Amino acid sequence: MLEKILLLLSLSLSVAEGLCKPGVGEAYKVRFSIKTALGDQAYPWNKNEMFLFRAALAFAMRDFTNGEEFGVSDIHPCNETQRVSFWFVVTRPKTMDLVDKGTVEMAIKKSRNRINGAFLLTDKTLEFDGIYPTLAAPVSPDTPPWLIVFGVVMGAVSVGIIALLVYPLVQRKLKKNMDADDEDSDEETGVKTAENGANDGIYNSTFSDDERFTQM
Amino acid sequence: MEKDGRPNWDSPMQFVLACVSYAVGLGNVWRFPYLCQLHGGGGFLIPYLIMLLLEGLPLFYMELAIGQKMRLGSIGAWTSISPYLGGLGLASVVTSVYLCLYYNVINAWSFWYLFHSFQSVLPWAVCPINSNRTGPTEECEVATPTQYFFYRETLNISSSIEENGGIHTGQALCLVLAWAITYLFIVRGVKSTGKVVYFTATFPYLVLFIYLIRGVTLHGAINGLKYMFTPKMAELANPRAWINAATQIFFSLGLGFGSLIAFASYNQHNNNFQNQAIVVSLINSGTSIFASIVTFAIYGFKATLNYENCLDRMRLLLLNTFDLAEDAISMDSVLEWTEKLNTTYPEQFAQIADKVREGECNLEKELDTAVEGTGLAFIVYSEAIKNMPLPQLWSVLYFFMLLLLGMGSMLGNVTAIITPLRDFKIMSRMSNELFSGLVCVFCLLLGLGFTTTSGNYWFTIFNDYAATFSLLFIVLIEVIAVSYIYGIKRFEKDIEDMLGHRPNWYWKIMWAVTSPLLLIGLFIFYIINYIQGGTPTYQAWNKELGESAVTEYPVFGQVFIVLLLVSSVSCVPLTALYAFCRKRKDRAYEKRPSAVSTVSV
Repeated sequence: MLEKILLLLSLSLSVAEGLCKPGVGEAYKVRFSIKTALGDQAYPWNKNEMFLFRAALAFAMRDFTNGEEFGVSDIHPCNETQRVSFWFVVTRPKTMDLVDKGTVEMAIKKSRNRINGAFLLTDKTLEFDGIYPTLAAPVSPDTPPWLIVFGVVMGAVSVGIIALLVYPLVQRKLKKNMDADDEDSDEETGVKTAENGANDGIYNSTFSDDERFTQM
Repeated sequence: MEKDGRPNWDSPMQFVLACVSYAVGLGNVWRFPYLCQLHGGGGFLIPYLIMLLLEGLPLFYMELAIGQKMRLGSIGAWTSISPYLGGLGLASVVTSVYLCLYYNVINAWSFWYLFHSFQSVLPWAVCPINSNRTGPTEECEVATPTQYFFYRETLNISSSIEENGGIHTGQALCLVLAWAITYLFIVRGVKSTGKVVYFTATFPYLVLFIYLIRGVTLHGAINGLKYMFTPKMAELANPRAWINAATQIFFSLGLGFGSLIAFASYNQHNNNFQNQAIVVSLINSGTSIFASIVTFAIYGFKATLNYENCLDRMRLLLLNTFDLAEDAISMDSVLEWTEKLNTTYPEQFAQIADKVREGECNLEKELDTAVEGTGLAFIVYSEAIKNMPLPQLWSVLYFFMLLLLGMGSMLGNVTAIITPLRDFKIMSRMSNELFSGLVCVFCLLLGLGFTTTSGNYWFTIFNDYAATFSLLFIVLIEVIAVSYIYGIKRFEKDIEDMLGHRPNWYWKIMWAVTSPLLLIGLFIFYIINYIQGGTPTYQAWNKELGESAVTEYPVFGQVFIVLLLVSSVSCVPLTALYAFCRKRKDRAYEKRPSAVSTVSV
């Protein structure tokens, strides 16, 4: 395990070993989770991919600084591991001056999507330690969708209530019109709704059930 | 139409379905599985079924008999049994009013969740982003997205019962809708209720069945089912298990509210309620067991998912700290790698030792988190749903089922208020529709108090105290009244009159001896528990920590609790006193020729 790491270290550019110190100064750590993102279609990590990374980062620096001609040789990685994670520093073109962390961060933030796209990864699978992704703005529709469903249901219920309330009135009206035409209207109107009949009549105790009420 | 013009159910089937719809409610889904888990899984069925035989069935039968015989709501029925007992009916009505006030708020929440399920991403699946767009909102980060959605977006809860804010408009709208639908169902009395119950009683079973199939085919469901069905017989020795079984049967059947009396009062005189009582009670218990199978399958799924996510987090932590290749550690080998790395790189491991300890993954612990009540229905279940494939469909189905269960129970609750009040002459002058409308509007306006920011805490007060103690008291007096004041012999004769045969010795022993004793025992236990429990407490949501903390009720809260209890219980002695005074007054006028008609309500 330890041998593998040493081997990888020795492969990195010897010139930049002095500049790129993990965890110190202007260095950033980046972590790739290719297998998590792509599963079976994961590509192996090799020198060509590393070249692509340096090119993408150089592009990000050029884009942010608006023209300063950063090149692939200005991105110095070191401490590459099996995880596929490594540290890197950025130097100004043609000099060995380190670019400060803040600038690097803003450059990466600006071109994050392009860098992700180059590797077919996402914000979660291509992580820059310390640089938080700017999350997409939430999509808020003009009318919240729940209100629409609520409106539909409420409308249906209101229609139902009104229908139930109005229907017997309409029926009664129709019946009254029919009675006005018939001759036996007197007998018909005698049959009122049950409530009126029960309350207005005189209670005939002859047929009452004595045991219904408790003796006092 | 019977000779006294009382409306009737169109068929005995409607009556049975109405009782099923009323009895099978939210408690079957969210209280019984919790009790099962608490008291040793499958073993809990033993005290549960024994209590069903000892108190559930006989008391259910008794209430149906009274309603069908007296053909009046609870107030009229008890006044007929003895003029001093009219207060029993009044206490039932008061308790039903309290229940109606807070129960429909649950339906309002179900509507809220149901309407929010019609989105491509369920709102409780992800945290909303904070204003800097750097990450999720703080409160959501410390809690979980489902908890955040429930406490912040649904309730907008304050940090204690003392702090109050405005009304949550979304909640208020949903509450209005819930009451509108309730009104729609009861506006024509039993004619409309009778048609609605065909749907509210049967559709939840369809959904439960669909969920059963979905649940047992989920990854990890078997863990939950194993956990539930391994009976821990030692729990049977715990008296709490028996007490919880007794109270669960009691509240699950909805005894004492007057709903059963009200429903039965619309029956034909010779309706065979004995078989119907047995059928409904068995359906109710069967549904509880059915629902807990579904719940435990879902628990198992959720616990396994959380466990696997935890393992994955551990795996990532190890990979990133030790810079190992991505496929070096698989999910199964996380634990052995932890050991290995601890021994080979102790100093490096010490740096992350805290994180490892904190995030320790334990399947048992995940399954052990027993939740009941609104927490189960709205937080745990919605968390499980968001992880299912096609979550919108399952969410809609689930909350629709909750709504049907809740609405079905509401039908019984509101009927329990309207039927006895309509039996009074003054009320019956008003039309059916107007009276029902007034009751609904009244309950709606008071219920709006539960949609304020501290509303959930008031809801908890009502949920825990409004109907528990008073019901025990009411049903205890009921069974004593029927067995000893009215007399078992007379009751037997009434039943023979209705059914054509007398109840056998099982029923008589239960009414006269077992049920009263059991109820007295429960009653005493409740009082002791209340006194011993000290100051009553509640769970207050702390938004900084993202969890609930146990807080004591302030003085006005405790006073309110006492008021709630006293207001319903005191109806019984006060009305008895009133009847006694009136009797004395009437006796003074006994010499007069005019007819005494004190009991015709």
